[in-house]
Amino acid sequence: MDISSRTVFLNIIRFFFLIFFQVLILNNLNLGGYVNPYFYILFILLLPFNTPKWLLLLSSFLLGLGVDIFTNTIGLNAAACVLMAFSRPFVITIISDAPDSLIGDTPSIKNQGLKWFLYYVISMVLIHHFALFYLEIFRFSEFFNTLLRVLLSSAFTIGLILICEYLFYYNRK
Amino acid sequence: MGNLFDFLRKHYFYFLFLLLESFSLILLVNYNEFQGSSLYTASNTVSGSVNKIFNGISEYFSLRKTNQVLIEELAKLHSRLPETYYKTDTTRHFYNDSIKALAYKYISAKVISNSTNKRNNFLMINKGRLQGLENHMGVIIGNKIVGQIVSVSPHFSWIMSMLNKDSRISGKFKKNNQLVNVEWNGGNYRKGQVKEIPKHVVIMKGDTIITSGNSDIFPEGLLIGTMCDYTISPDENFNHGELLFSTDFNSLGYVEVIIDIMRKEKEDLKASFNMR
Repeated sequence: MDISSRTVFLNIIRFFFLIFFQVLILNNLNLGGYVNPYFYILFILLLPFNTPKWLLLLSSFLLGLGVDIFTNTIGLNAAACVLMAFSRPFVITIISDAPDSLIGDTPSIKNQGLKWFLYYVISMVLIHHFALFYLEIFRFSEFFNTLLRVLLSSAFTIGLILICEYLFYYNRK
Repeated sequence: MGNLFDFLRKHYFYFLFLLLESFSLILLVNYNEFQGSSLYTASNTVSGSVNKIFNGISEYFSLRKTNQVLIEELAKLHSRLPETYYKTDTTRHFYNDSIKALAYKYISAKVISNSTNKRNNFLMINKGRLQGLENHMGVIIGNKIVGQIVSVSPHFSWIMSMLNKDSRISGKFKKNNQLVNVEWNGGNYRKGQVKEIPKHVVIMKGDTIITSGNSDIFPEGLLIGTMCDYTISPDENFNHGELLFSTDFNSLGYVEVIIDIMRKEKEDLKASFNMR
Protein backbone atom coordinates (compact mmCIF):
# COMPACT_ATOMS: atom_id res chain seq x y z
CA MET A 1 0.00 0.00 0.00
CA ASP A 2 2.71 2.50 -0.52
CA ILE A 3 2.87 4.76 -3.49
CA SER A 4 5.87 7.00 -4.00
CA SER A 5 5.32 10.72 -3.84
CA ARG A 6 6.62 10.97 -7.40
CA THR A 7 3.72 8.80 -8.62
CA VAL A 8 1.23 10.90 -6.68
CA PHE A 9 2.65 14.09 -8.14
CA LEU A 10 2.65 12.66 -11.67
CA ASN A 11 -0.98 11.61 -11.35
CA ILE A 12 -2.10 14.99 -10.06
CA ILE A 13 -0.40 16.72 -13.00
CA ARG A 14 -1.97 14.20 -15.39
CA PHE A 15 -5.39 14.79 -13.82
CA PHE A 16 -5.41 18.52 -14.60
CA PHE A 17 -3.61 18.23 -17.92
CA LEU A 18 -6.11 15.70 -19.25
CA ILE A 19 -9.15 17.76 -18.17
CA PHE A 20 -7.83 20.85 -19.94
CA PHE A 21 -6.72 18.89 -23.00
CA GLN A 22 -10.21 17.40 -23.19
CA VAL A 23 -12.27 20.56 -22.76
CA LEU A 24 -10.06 23.00 -24.66
CA ILE A 25 -8.95 20.86 -27.59
CA LEU A 26 -10.76 17.55 -28.03
CA ASN A 27 -14.23 18.95 -27.33
CA ASN A 28 -13.70 21.43 -30.15
CA LEU A 29 -12.84 18.78 -32.73
CA ASN A 30 -15.52 18.28 -35.31
CA LEU A 31 -15.30 14.88 -36.95
CA GLY A 32 -18.58 14.45 -38.79
CA GLY A 33 -20.89 14.60 -35.78
CA TYR A 34 -20.42 10.95 -34.88
CA VAL A 35 -16.97 10.92 -33.33
CA ASN A 36 -16.36 12.50 -29.91
CA PRO A 37 -13.13 11.14 -28.43
CA TYR A 38 -13.01 11.15 -24.63
CA PHE A 39 -9.29 10.85 -24.11
CA TYR A 40 -9.32 12.17 -20.52
CA ILE A 41 -10.22 8.71 -19.15
CA LEU A 42 -6.56 7.81 -19.68
CA PHE A 43 -6.14 9.09 -16.12
CA ILE A 44 -8.29 6.26 -14.72
CA LEU A 45 -6.56 3.71 -16.95
CA LEU A 46 -3.09 4.67 -15.77
CA LEU A 47 -3.69 4.82 -12.01
CA PRO A 48 -1.30 2.48 -10.16
CA PHE A 49 -2.54 -1.04 -9.42
CA ASN A 50 -2.30 -0.53 -5.68
CA THR A 51 -4.34 2.67 -5.61
CA PRO A 52 -6.74 2.42 -2.65
CA LYS A 53 -10.19 1.62 -3.99
CA TRP A 54 -11.87 4.60 -2.36
CA LEU A 55 -9.31 6.88 -4.00
CA LEU A 56 -9.92 5.20 -7.36
CA LEU A 57 -13.66 5.93 -7.15
CA LEU A 58 -13.31 9.40 -5.69
CA SER A 59 -10.64 10.64 -8.12
CA SER A 60 -12.64 9.30 -11.07
CA PHE A 61 -15.71 11.08 -9.81
CA LEU A 62 -13.79 14.36 -9.51
CA LEU A 63 -12.23 13.85 -12.94
CA GLY A 64 -15.66 13.40 -14.53
CA LEU A 65 -17.07 16.34 -12.62
CA GLY A 66 -14.14 18.49 -13.76
CA VAL A 67 -14.97 17.82 -17.40
CA ASP A 68 -18.69 18.27 -16.69
CA ILE A 69 -18.20 21.75 -15.29
CA PHE A 70 -16.75 22.93 -18.58
CA THR A 71 -19.35 21.32 -20.79
CA ASN A 72 -22.32 22.09 -18.51
CA THR A 73 -23.40 18.48 -18.37
CA ILE A 74 -23.16 18.19 -14.58
CA GLY A 75 -23.15 14.51 -13.55
CA LEU A 76 -22.89 13.02 -17.03
CA ASN A 77 -19.16 12.39 -17.28
CA ALA A 78 -18.99 11.84 -13.52
CA ALA A 79 -21.50 8.97 -13.71
CA ALA A 80 -19.68 7.32 -16.61
CA CYS A 81 -16.29 7.70 -14.91
CA VAL A 82 -17.47 6.28 -11.58
CA LEU A 83 -18.94 3.26 -13.38
CA MET A 84 -15.70 2.78 -15.27
CA ALA A 85 -13.60 3.05 -12.08
CA PHE A 86 -15.89 0.60 -10.33
CA SER A 87 -15.44 -2.00 -13.06
CA ARG A 88 -11.66 -1.55 -13.26
CA PRO A 89 -10.71 -4.13 -10.54
CA PHE A 90 -13.09 -6.68 -12.08
CA VAL A 91 -11.75 -6.13 -15.59
CA ILE A 92 -8.18 -6.53 -14.32
CA THR A 93 -9.06 -9.76 -12.48
CA ILE A 94 -10.81 -11.23 -15.52
CA ILE A 95 -8.13 -10.48 -18.12
CA SER A 96 -5.06 -11.32 -16.00
CA ASP A 97 -3.75 -14.86 -15.53
CA ALA A 98 -2.34 -14.09 -12.09
CA PRO A 99 -3.94 -10.85 -10.87
CA ASP A 100 -1.87 -10.80 -7.68
CA SER A 101 1.48 -10.76 -9.43
CA LEU A 102 1.10 -7.96 -11.95
CA ILE A 103 4.48 -6.53 -12.92
CA GLY A 104 5.22 -2.84 -12.37
CA ASP A 105 3.12 -0.32 -10.56
CA THR A 106 0.97 1.01 -13.41
CA PRO A 107 -0.73 -0.68 -16.36
CA SER A 108 1.36 -0.32 -19.53
CA ILE A 109 2.25 -2.09 -22.77
CA LYS A 110 5.84 -2.43 -21.59
CA ASN A 111 4.95 -4.25 -18.37
CA GLN A 112 1.93 -6.33 -19.29
CA GLY A 113 2.37 -6.79 -23.04
CA LEU A 114 0.32 -5.47 -25.95
CA LYS A 115 -2.37 -8.18 -25.78
CA TRP A 116 -3.19 -7.59 -22.12
CA PHE A 117 -3.13 -3.83 -22.59
CA LEU A 118 -5.45 -3.98 -25.59
CA TYR A 119 -8.01 -6.12 -23.72
CA TYR A 120 -7.77 -3.73 -20.80
CA VAL A 121 -8.15 -0.49 -22.79
CA ILE A 122 -10.88 -1.76 -25.12
CA SER A 123 -13.11 -3.10 -22.35
CA MET A 124 -12.68 -0.03 -20.14
CA VAL A 125 -13.24 2.48 -22.96
CA LEU A 126 -16.34 0.62 -24.14
CA ILE A 127 -17.84 0.62 -20.63
CA HIS A 128 -17.25 4.35 -20.29
CA HIS A 129 -18.49 5.30 -23.76
CA PHE A 130 -21.60 3.13 -23.56
CA ALA A 131 -22.58 4.70 -20.25
CA LEU A 132 -21.77 8.21 -21.42
CA PHE A 133 -23.54 8.24 -24.77
CA TYR A 134 -26.69 6.47 -23.60
CA LEU A 135 -26.96 8.70 -20.54
CA GLU A 136 -26.52 11.74 -22.77
CA ILE A 137 -29.35 10.67 -25.07
CA PHE A 138 -31.53 9.20 -22.33
CA ARG A 139 -33.96 7.67 -24.77
CA PHE A 140 -34.05 4.49 -26.81
CA SER A 141 -35.55 5.90 -29.98
CA GLU A 142 -32.09 6.57 -31.39
CA PHE A 143 -30.62 3.26 -30.22
CA PHE A 144 -28.67 2.27 -33.34
CA ASN A 145 -27.63 5.79 -34.16
CA THR A 146 -26.13 6.06 -30.68
CA LEU A 147 -24.53 2.63 -30.96
CA LEU A 148 -22.71 3.80 -34.07
CA ARG A 149 -21.49 6.87 -32.21
CA VAL A 150 -20.31 4.74 -29.28
CA LEU A 151 -18.34 2.39 -31.52
CA LEU A 152 -16.77 5.08 -33.71
CA SER A 153 -15.84 7.26 -30.74
CA SER A 154 -14.44 4.30 -28.82
CA ALA A 155 -12.25 3.34 -31.77
CA PHE A 156 -10.95 6.89 -31.91
CA THR A 157 -10.30 7.11 -28.16
CA ILE A 158 -8.54 3.73 -28.13
CA GLY A 159 -6.38 4.85 -31.06
CA LEU A 160 -5.40 8.05 -29.23
CA ILE A 161 -4.57 6.13 -26.06
CA LEU A 162 -2.36 3.65 -27.92
CA ILE A 163 -0.54 6.42 -29.77
CA CYS A 164 0.03 8.24 -26.49
CA GLU A 165 1.23 5.07 -24.79
CA TYR A 166 3.79 4.42 -27.53
CA LEU A 167 4.91 8.06 -27.65
CA PHE A 168 5.34 8.78 -23.96
CA TYR A 169 5.49 5.61 -21.94
CA TYR A 170 6.85 2.75 -24.03
CA ASN A 171 10.50 3.74 -24.16
CA ARG A 172 10.79 5.16 -20.69
CA LYS A 173 13.30 3.86 -18.11
CA MET B 1 -23.66 -2.64 15.75
CA GLY B 2 -20.07 -3.85 15.48
CA ASN B 3 -21.17 -6.38 12.89
CA LEU B 4 -22.76 -3.63 10.84
CA PHE B 5 -19.54 -1.63 10.78
CA ASP B 6 -17.57 -4.75 9.84
CA PHE B 7 -19.99 -5.38 7.02
CA LEU B 8 -19.75 -1.80 5.81
CA ARG B 9 -15.98 -1.85 6.00
CA LYS B 10 -15.71 -5.12 4.12
CA HIS B 11 -17.94 -4.03 1.27
CA TYR B 12 -17.21 -0.31 1.32
CA PHE B 13 -16.15 -0.39 -2.35
CA TYR B 14 -19.68 -1.30 -3.40
CA PHE B 15 -21.31 1.20 -1.10
CA LEU B 16 -19.02 4.02 -2.14
CA PHE B 17 -19.69 3.14 -5.77
CA LEU B 18 -23.46 3.19 -5.23
CA LEU B 19 -23.18 6.46 -3.32
CA LEU B 20 -21.09 8.27 -5.95
CA GLU B 21 -23.00 6.82 -8.89
CA SER B 22 -26.39 7.78 -7.49
CA PHE B 23 -25.05 11.20 -6.59
CA SER B 24 -23.90 11.70 -10.21
CA LEU B 25 -27.23 10.53 -11.56
CA ILE B 26 -29.14 12.83 -9.23
CA LEU B 27 -26.98 15.73 -10.43
CA LEU B 28 -27.60 14.70 -14.02
CA VAL B 29 -31.37 14.48 -13.64
CA ASN B 30 -31.65 17.68 -11.62
CA TYR B 31 -29.61 19.59 -14.14
CA ASN B 32 -31.91 18.40 -16.90
CA GLU B 33 -35.03 19.49 -15.09
CA PHE B 34 -34.05 22.79 -13.56
CA GLN B 35 -31.65 24.41 -15.90
CA GLY B 36 -31.35 27.51 -13.78
CA SER B 37 -30.14 25.76 -10.64
CA SER B 38 -27.46 27.47 -8.57
CA LEU B 39 -24.85 24.80 -9.31
CA TYR B 40 -25.39 25.30 -12.99
CA THR B 41 -24.97 29.05 -12.79
CA ALA B 42 -21.86 28.74 -10.64
CA SER B 43 -20.24 26.44 -13.15
CA ASN B 44 -21.23 28.89 -15.83
CA THR B 45 -19.05 31.54 -14.19
CA VAL B 46 -16.05 29.26 -13.63
CA SER B 47 -15.98 27.73 -17.08
CA GLY B 48 -16.98 31.03 -18.62
CA SER B 49 -13.81 32.74 -17.55
CA VAL B 50 -11.57 29.89 -18.74
CA ASN B 51 -13.37 29.71 -22.06
CA LYS B 52 -13.01 33.46 -22.38
CA ILE B 53 -9.23 33.29 -22.07
CA PHE B 54 -8.99 30.47 -24.60
CA ASN B 55 -11.33 32.26 -26.95
CA GLY B 56 -9.26 35.42 -26.64
CA ILE B 57 -6.39 33.47 -28.21
CA SER B 58 -8.35 31.70 -30.93
CA GLU B 59 -10.11 34.95 -31.86
CA TYR B 60 -6.97 36.18 -33.61
CA PHE B 61 -7.19 33.46 -36.21
CA SER B 62 -10.50 34.71 -37.56
CA LEU B 63 -9.90 38.47 -37.42
CA ARG B 64 -9.85 38.85 -41.20
CA LYS B 65 -13.19 37.14 -41.64
CA THR B 66 -14.76 38.97 -38.73
CA ASN B 67 -13.72 42.32 -40.22
CA GLN B 68 -15.27 41.41 -43.51
CA VAL B 69 -18.55 40.45 -41.86
CA LEU B 70 -18.56 43.68 -39.87
CA ILE B 71 -17.95 45.81 -42.95
CA GLU B 72 -20.76 44.12 -44.81
CA GLU B 73 -23.09 44.60 -41.87
CA LEU B 74 -22.07 48.25 -41.63
CA ALA B 75 -22.84 48.83 -45.29
CA LYS B 76 -26.21 47.18 -44.88
CA LEU B 77 -27.07 49.38 -41.92
CA HIS B 78 -25.84 52.53 -43.65
CA SER B 79 -28.20 51.87 -46.49
CA ARG B 80 -31.07 51.85 -44.04
CA LEU B 81 -30.29 55.22 -42.48
CA PRO B 82 -32.91 57.93 -42.98
CA GLU B 83 -30.33 60.09 -44.80
CA THR B 84 -29.99 57.57 -47.59
CA TYR B 85 -33.62 57.81 -48.59
CA TYR B 86 -34.47 60.15 -51.39
CA LYS B 87 -36.82 62.72 -49.97
CA THR B 88 -39.62 63.68 -52.30
CA ASP B 89 -41.71 65.43 -49.71
CA THR B 90 -41.31 66.90 -46.27
CA THR B 91 -42.06 63.65 -44.47
CA ARG B 92 -39.16 62.56 -42.28
CA HIS B 93 -38.20 58.98 -41.56
CA PHE B 94 -38.07 58.52 -37.83
CA TYR B 95 -36.85 55.45 -36.14
CA ASN B 96 -38.40 56.18 -32.78
CA ASP B 97 -41.91 56.37 -34.07
CA SER B 98 -44.56 57.53 -31.64
CA ILE B 99 -47.25 55.65 -33.55
CA LYS B 100 -45.50 52.30 -33.86
CA ALA B 101 -44.35 51.00 -30.50
CA LEU B 102 -40.98 49.30 -30.35
CA ALA B 103 -41.52 45.54 -30.09
CA TYR B 104 -38.02 44.08 -30.15
CA LYS B 105 -34.58 45.17 -29.07
CA TYR B 106 -31.37 43.48 -30.20
CA ILE B 107 -28.20 43.08 -28.19
CA SER B 108 -25.05 41.82 -29.87
CA ALA B 109 -22.82 39.33 -28.06
CA LYS B 110 -19.69 37.38 -28.74
CA VAL B 111 -19.74 33.60 -28.81
CA ILE B 112 -17.05 32.30 -26.46
CA SER B 113 -17.75 28.61 -26.69
CA ASN B 114 -19.68 26.60 -29.22
CA SER B 115 -20.00 23.05 -30.44
CA THR B 116 -21.67 21.26 -33.32
CA ASN B 117 -20.25 17.77 -32.85
CA LYS B 118 -22.32 16.55 -29.90
CA ARG B 119 -25.85 15.24 -29.77
CA ASN B 120 -26.79 18.17 -27.54
CA ASN B 121 -24.96 21.36 -28.40
CA PHE B 122 -24.77 24.59 -26.44
CA LEU B 123 -23.14 28.00 -26.90
CA MET B 124 -21.88 30.46 -24.37
CA ILE B 125 -21.94 34.22 -25.00
CA ASN B 126 -20.27 37.06 -23.13
CA LYS B 127 -23.43 38.92 -22.08
CA GLY B 128 -25.60 38.01 -19.13
CA ARG B 129 -28.10 39.14 -16.56
CA LEU B 130 -26.35 42.50 -16.07
CA GLN B 131 -27.01 43.32 -19.73
CA GLY B 132 -30.68 42.48 -19.32
CA LEU B 133 -30.70 38.96 -20.73
CA GLU B 134 -33.13 36.37 -19.39
CA ASN B 135 -34.09 32.77 -19.99
CA HIS B 136 -36.11 31.90 -23.11
CA MET B 137 -34.82 34.78 -25.18
CA GLY B 138 -34.13 33.94 -28.82
CA VAL B 139 -30.65 34.20 -30.32
CA ILE B 140 -30.08 34.97 -34.00
CA ILE B 141 -27.30 35.80 -36.42
CA GLY B 142 -28.34 38.28 -39.08
CA ASN B 143 -31.84 37.10 -39.90
CA LYS B 144 -31.09 33.44 -39.19
CA ILE B 145 -31.92 31.48 -36.08
CA VAL B 146 -29.31 30.17 -33.62
CA GLY B 147 -31.07 29.03 -30.43
CA GLN B 148 -32.50 30.21 -27.15
CA ILE B 149 -31.07 31.19 -23.76
CA VAL B 150 -31.51 28.50 -21.11
CA SER B 151 -29.40 29.88 -18.29
CA VAL B 152 -27.92 33.25 -17.37
CA SER B 153 -25.22 34.25 -14.92
CA PRO B 154 -24.23 37.89 -14.28
CA HIS B 155 -21.77 38.03 -17.20
CA PHE B 156 -22.50 35.01 -19.37
CA SER B 157 -25.42 33.25 -20.95
CA TRP B 158 -25.77 29.61 -21.88
CA ILE B 159 -27.65 29.03 -25.09
CA MET B 160 -29.31 25.85 -26.22
CA SER B 161 -28.36 25.63 -29.88
CA MET B 162 -30.84 24.52 -32.54
CA LEU B 163 -28.57 21.46 -32.65
CA ASN B 164 -30.03 19.91 -29.51
CA LYS B 165 -32.47 17.10 -28.86
CA ASP B 166 -34.68 19.48 -26.86
CA SER B 167 -34.81 22.17 -29.56
CA ARG B 168 -38.06 22.25 -31.46
CA ILE B 169 -38.88 25.32 -33.49
CA SER B 170 -42.22 26.23 -34.90
CA GLY B 171 -41.73 27.13 -38.57
CA LYS B 172 -43.76 27.65 -41.68
CA PHE B 173 -43.44 27.49 -45.44
CA LYS B 174 -42.73 30.95 -46.75
CA LYS B 175 -44.79 30.33 -49.87
CA ASN B 176 -48.09 29.38 -48.23
CA ASN B 177 -47.73 29.86 -44.47
CA GLN B 178 -48.31 26.17 -43.68
CA LEU B 179 -47.05 25.39 -40.18
CA VAL B 180 -44.39 22.73 -39.56
CA ASN B 181 -42.00 21.79 -36.76
CA VAL B 182 -38.22 21.78 -37.16
CA GLU B 183 -35.95 19.51 -35.11
CA TRP B 184 -32.43 18.10 -35.27
CA ASN B 185 -31.78 14.39 -34.87
CA GLY B 186 -28.00 14.41 -34.55
CA GLY B 187 -25.35 13.65 -37.13
CA ASN B 188 -24.85 16.25 -39.82
CA TYR B 189 -24.97 19.73 -38.31
CA ARG B 190 -26.01 21.31 -41.62
CA LYS B 191 -29.26 19.37 -41.91
CA GLY B 192 -32.41 19.49 -39.78
CA GLN B 193 -35.64 17.52 -39.84
CA VAL B 194 -38.96 19.04 -40.83
CA LYS B 195 -41.80 17.27 -39.04
CA GLU B 196 -45.56 17.30 -39.51
CA ILE B 197 -45.92 18.75 -42.97
CA PRO B 198 -49.65 18.60 -43.83
CA LYS B 199 -50.50 16.11 -46.60
CA HIS B 200 -51.93 18.63 -49.00
CA VAL B 201 -48.85 20.84 -49.10
CA VAL B 202 -46.90 20.39 -52.31
CA ILE B 203 -43.25 20.28 -51.24
CA MET B 204 -40.54 21.41 -53.62
CA LYS B 205 -36.82 21.18 -53.06
CA GLY B 206 -35.57 24.66 -52.26
CA ASP B 207 -38.72 25.79 -50.44
CA THR B 208 -37.84 28.29 -47.75
CA ILE B 209 -38.83 27.57 -44.15
CA ILE B 210 -39.10 30.60 -41.84
CA THR B 211 -40.09 31.01 -38.20
CA SER B 212 -43.83 31.18 -37.64
CA GLY B 213 -43.83 33.62 -34.74
CA ASN B 214 -46.17 31.29 -32.83
CA SER B 215 -43.73 30.81 -29.98
CA ASP B 216 -42.66 33.71 -27.81
CA ILE B 217 -39.02 33.06 -28.59
CA PHE B 218 -38.56 34.15 -32.20
CA PRO B 219 -40.43 36.85 -34.09
CA GLU B 220 -42.01 35.87 -37.38
CA GLY B 221 -40.04 35.59 -40.60
CA LEU B 222 -36.52 34.61 -39.54
CA LEU B 223 -34.78 32.16 -41.87
CA ILE B 224 -34.52 28.56 -40.68
CA GLY B 225 -33.46 26.83 -43.89
CA THR B 226 -34.39 25.47 -47.29
CA MET B 227 -35.93 22.08 -48.02
CA CYS B 228 -33.42 19.67 -49.49
CA ASP B 229 -35.19 16.33 -49.21
CA TYR B 230 -38.61 14.93 -48.35
CA THR B 231 -40.54 11.69 -48.12
CA ILE B 232 -44.21 11.19 -48.93
CA SER B 233 -45.43 8.61 -46.41
CA PRO B 234 -48.84 7.21 -47.41
CA ASP B 235 -49.45 5.49 -44.04
CA GLU B 236 -49.10 8.55 -41.88
CA ASN B 237 -51.11 11.71 -41.47
CA PHE B 238 -48.14 13.94 -42.18
CA ASN B 239 -45.16 14.03 -44.51
CA HIS B 240 -41.64 14.57 -43.29
CA GLY B 241 -38.65 16.26 -44.83
CA GLU B 242 -35.14 17.46 -44.39
CA LEU B 243 -33.82 21.00 -44.63
CA LEU B 244 -30.47 22.66 -45.03
CA PHE B 245 -30.00 25.16 -42.20
CA SER B 246 -29.37 28.71 -43.36
CA THR B 247 -27.18 29.19 -40.31
CA ASP B 248 -23.68 27.77 -40.37
CA PHE B 249 -23.54 26.72 -36.72
CA ASN B 250 -19.87 25.93 -36.96
CA SER B 251 -18.75 29.49 -37.70
CA LEU B 252 -20.67 31.63 -35.23
CA GLY B 253 -18.64 34.63 -34.09
CA TYR B 254 -21.01 37.38 -33.08
CA VAL B 255 -24.70 36.77 -32.48
CA GLU B 256 -27.66 38.91 -31.49
CA VAL B 257 -30.08 38.31 -28.65
CA ILE B 258 -33.68 39.32 -29.20
CA ILE B 259 -35.34 41.11 -26.31
CA ASP B 260 -39.07 40.99 -26.73
CA ILE B 261 -40.23 44.20 -25.05
CA MET B 262 -43.85 43.14 -24.99
CA ARG B 263 -43.18 39.67 -23.65
CA LYS B 264 -44.35 40.48 -20.16
CA GLU B 265 -47.57 41.90 -21.52
CA LYS B 266 -48.16 38.72 -23.54
CA GLU B 267 -47.45 36.52 -20.56
CA ASP B 268 -49.70 38.58 -18.30
CA LEU B 269 -52.47 38.30 -20.82
CA LYS B 270 -52.16 34.50 -20.89
CA ALA B 271 -51.94 34.35 -17.10
CA SER B 272 -55.02 36.52 -16.63
CA PHE B 273 -56.96 34.17 -18.90
CA ASN B 274 -55.81 31.12 -16.96
CA MET B 275 -56.77 32.78 -13.69
CA ARG B 276 -60.38 33.02 -14.69
